Amino acid sequence: MAEGDSKTRRLAKAIVLTLPIALLMPMMIMGGQSGPKEPFQIVGMIVAYGFTVIAFFLIAFTGRTYKYRSLFFIIYAVALVLTFAPAMIEARGSMAVTQSEMAQGKTPFCHIVITATLIPAVLSRTIIFPGSMVEGFASIGSMLVLWLGASIALGRGWCSWACFYGGLDEGFSRIGRKPIIKNISRKWVYLPFAILVAIMLLSAAMLSPMYCGWLCPFKAVTEFEAVTSATVLVQTIIFVSLFAGLVVIGPILTKRRTQCGLFCPMGALQSLTNKLNIFDIRIDPDKCVQCGQCETSCPTFSIDRESIGKGKTRMTCTKCGKCVDECPKHAISYHIKGTPVGVKSHIARMAFVYPAFLFMAIIASGMISGAVYRILLLATTGSLVK
Amino acid sequence: MMLVNGFLLGIASGGVCLAYCAPVLVPYLLGEARTVRANLVPVGGFLGGRLAGYMVFAVLAWLTHSALIENLPHRKAVLGVVTIGLALLLIVYGFTGRDRHCPAIPAAAAAKPGRRAFLLMPVSLGFLTGVNVCPPFLLAFSSAAQLSQLWQSLLFFAAFFVGTSVYIAPLPLVGLAGGCEKIRIIGRLAAGVVGVFYLYSGIVSLISVLH
Repeated sequence: MAEGDSKTRRLAKAIVLTLPIALLMPMMIMGGQSGPKEPFQIVGMIVAYGFTVIAFFLIAFTGRTYKYRSLFFIIYAVALVLTFAPAMIEARGSMAVTQSEMAQGKTPFCHIVITATLIPAVLSRTIIFPGSMVEGFASIGSMLVLWLGASIALGRGWCSWACFYGGLDEGFSRIGRKPIIKNISRKWVYLPFAILVAIMLLSAAMLSPMYCGWLCPFKAVTEFEAVTSATVLVQTIIFVSLFAGLVVIGPILTKRRTQCGLFCPMGALQSLTNKLNIFDIRIDPDKCVQCGQCETSCPTFSIDRESIGKGKTRMTCTKCGKCVDECPKHAISYHIKGTPVGVKSHIARMAFVYPAFLFMAIIASGMISGAVYRILLLATTGSLVK
Repeated sequence: MMLVNGFLLGIASGGVCLAYCAPVLVPYLLGEARTVRANLVPVGGFLGGRLAGYMVFAVLAWLTHSALIENLPHRKAVLGVVTIGLALLLIVYGFTGRDRHCPAIPAAAAAKPGRRAFLLMPVSLGFLTGVNVCPPFLLAFSSAAQLSQLWQSLLFFAAFFVGTSVYIAPLPLVGLAGGCEKIRIIGRLAAGVVGVFYLYSGIVSLISVLH
């Protein structure tokens, strides 16, 4: 909303902006089906619908992006865990995927695998992942199309508006009032890029998605390979430790998204797409008083003295909106490349936030609906699984 | 004919050689953050080290025929020791290298290591990848083991080396990534990460020999 708008005018604008989302979401939540059959599913859909519409309305009405995006983003990630893990248990009896199922190409594909598959795909025209190209609910083809489209539209905004894992470490980063660890060497903000380089090269050498096999901490809450050998046991110890360290303990101690900002190779790859994306975050040097508030609060270590001096964020910026909301001098704003900095920034903000939120809502609403269903199932039957 | 066979075997399996060598050489080249032209020296050193490794195995192939690689425990032991050596080199390079951010080190000194140090690392990396028992190498070794004369074995491995080097020759182009400090840090950290993985692989290989 533009500064100086009256409350009534802001309310009217927020309602107009929310209306298309309110009309579109029922179709998205039902996923093209005629309608739910179970009462719990109906409740789940109503909750997901209401939550999505209210979250966007608040973003539009208050002019504050981070607070409501973050809440939605965290619930989206928790909803993924609550829907995915029980669905796997229902389908195969366990969160663990067996060698036989991998051989049959039944492993769901997630966007982080893309980092490992790029070089082998170019060199050998083979996707080195035990999933299906077109079949199943998370096929390689559908995920690639979603990722490409969102990357063009959002750049690394993907990591704060689309990634279904990021909300987990964001959630833990919001526990506690002050960070216990404040100073982290700038050297480590380059580690995701180093892991990206190492993963791409090693995956090409081993013809295996190395990050998924060895490092991905989110396997701890979704699915993992059944422990049938010493190697898989070591892999399990590593990814569980990384989950505890980078997704739980690190964010609590630093109040930052340590997995996303200091480790994730997908985040590094996504940073490169920021160069292609038309949206960025800019710092108005005339308004900035160099207080450093943005530098200390950025969840992904994407602002430093050097970038403030240049009037912009680092290329790793996820456009989460925290610095924009927290800057005491309103010196930071969403910006469309090629336009003057700080002029009509509310239009730039909405031009980015609208498609970004819509994309997140389309994916998240089904998961939130499913999570509510699972919670109701747990409350009535004592189990998340049917 | 023997030279042609060695060269063709190198050409046929060079893609795999590149896949095995790139995780070692690419992070190193990024870590040095030099221009394409300046990268010719370390890539040359790497290839020289690799040739030396091949020659060592050419002699071993001639001496032992194929006994060295046909004996699985021997092969795993060699692989384990070599991989651990390579891993330690990469870890030391990646995680303990001089950091230009350190105020005690003059920037110029950190950016320009001595000529000997500059060559020692790629030659060592090349030698250790050269003696690594990767699939194309096994093919070359078993072919060379059939040859009756030492010079034939040496020539076969030399021709094989030339064939595989065709794929490694474009790697100086890594210099196109730019010569900034950030790329240097990323390259060094990547070398360290690759080193940690190789260390694990080497240890597993040795443990499997003991069992």
